[in-house]
Amino acid sequence: MPSAWLSTHLRAARPRVLAALNRVFGDIDLAEDAFQEASLRALKAWSPDHMPGDPVSWLIVAGRNAGVDALRKRKRETLTAPDDLAPLSKGPHPEDDLTQSLDHAVYRDDILRLLFTCCHPVLRRDQQIALSLKVVAGLTVEEIARAFLVQPKTMEQRITRAKKRLQAANLTYEEPDRTARSERLSAVANAIYLIFNEGYCASQGEHLIREPLCEETIRLARLIVRLFPEEPELRGLLALCLIQHSRRSARLSESGSAITLEDQDRSLWDQTLIAEGNVLLEAALRKARPGPFQIEAAIAATHTQAATYAQTDWAEIDRLYRALQHIRPSPVVALNRAVVQAKLKGSQEALGSLEKLSSSLERYPNFHVVRATFLEDLGRYEEAQVAFRTALDFAGTDVDRAHILEKMSGLSRK
Amino acid sequence: MLFSVLIYASEDFIDALPPEELATIYQKHGAFHEHTKTNKSFAAATKLMSTGTSVTVNKNNDDFVVTDGPFAETKEQFMGFYLIDCPTLEEAIEAVKILPLDHGRIEIRPVEFFEGADFKNAERLVINAS
Repeated sequence: MPSAWLSTHLRAARPRVLAALNRVFGDIDLAEDAFQEASLRALKAWSPDHMPGDPVSWLIVAGRNAGVDALRKRKRETLTAPDDLAPLSKGPHPEDDLTQSLDHAVYRDDILRLLFTCCHPVLRRDQQIALSLKVVAGLTVEEIARAFLVQPKTMEQRITRAKKRLQAANLTYEEPDRTARSERLSAVANAIYLIFNEGYCASQGEHLIREPLCEETIRLARLIVRLFPEEPELRGLLALCLIQHSRRSARLSESGSAITLEDQDRSLWDQTLIAEGNVLLEAALRKARPGPFQIEAAIAATHTQAATYAQTDWAEIDRLYRALQHIRPSPVVALNRAVVQAKLKGSQEALGSLEKLSSSLERYPNFHVVRATFLEDLGRYEEAQVAFRTALDFAGTDVDRAHILEKMSGLSRK
Repeated sequence: MLFSVLIYASEDFIDALPPEELATIYQKHGAFHEHTKTNKSFAAATKLMSTGTSVTVNKNNDDFVVTDGPFAETKEQFMGFYLIDCPTLEEAIEAVKILPLDHGRIEIRPVEFFEGADFKNAERLVINAS
């Protein structure tokens, strides 16, 4: 059992080391095994007083050796093994000169390759999430299974299938040019936000927030922001995650029901995270290359600037949603904009704008909650009651159900 | 004499620390605050945001160029600093021993000039170190 001190070192080094090993071997499974072996070697060789100058390079070299050994062994054991192992141990490797740290550009491409592989479009969303958490963040299968409320065995299968699918797709990975890199970063950013959202508004089960998942995602987002500080969308993503996460203590009542933005105690918002989110966003916006994450972060930031819900700058938020609809149109964005429209122009007009969304958001509980709220505002209580009941049918978590029931009981008193 | 206490650590490492370990680090900083405030050597404490928030301002001929991220890529990053007013270097070293030293490097460097403002009323505080 490694000490807490050593496991922190391994956790910190993992994304970079695994990314390098994935480059060397072109195989995530082998890279993971090699990292495991390198960690065991570190357990024997490291102590707090006796640390390598560059733990990351140390682990890469140890992992590379371990991986080559494993391949040789495999080759001896199977007659049909490919005969192309030699190039792995020949030729210059960026880690060969241990006195020098790895070239930053190599790190960047390695990490991008690893992340992009884990959230590759050939994978389903749940596979992308599981693989990123397992491979990059280094969560155990049990931890991921717990976070998604499935049996460890089920999660194990999900990860194995994802890896098989990657192998079957036989991905080639050319050095990305500027556009390709940008596209890959955008795929990675989307996957990271997907994981964050799983933590932030858990879609199933009895907990609304899975804090460790949010924190793990923020760690990943911080890592890629440090590697690609010139990408404004990545800073926007991190800003968005930080500002959302700043409200974690205000989002749940003592009884465990959800508290919406309107009723949150704003003094519970984490001002340190808000400040960091706001300055990240400002730095991102300087580039004048707007994107959906920057806009969503700007919306979240606008909320943080209002001392009370009543003081919210709805006109600004409406402008931002309009921009978001333009860049990345989606029914959910349209729904959010309808909520803002209700603040600016009244519920009657907003209700009208919901009609064209009803087919695409039919199974989305929040659509029915919003519709019910508009109907309630307009005094159409019976219709509101029906809409709340529909929302209840589609609600995924106990927390959501409790929230809807609370609103329904408020309505029945009218 | 005014000394700066400069704290360097790997952000990857700090990010990876489990909450219990982070709490221990904060405890040690707390003890440092208490020690330096008790013996009246405490002058300032500054914790920096992550380098992900950094921009670097350069000049290219007559143009200002603002690049994103810190000036240099290093394995350890500058995390923050204290200013302490100690009669001798020896005392500064003794105080710094209270800080968490297992997670990075702490450098003590004497201050040549210091000027500060009280942020609330912007009254200036000027100290000539010599």
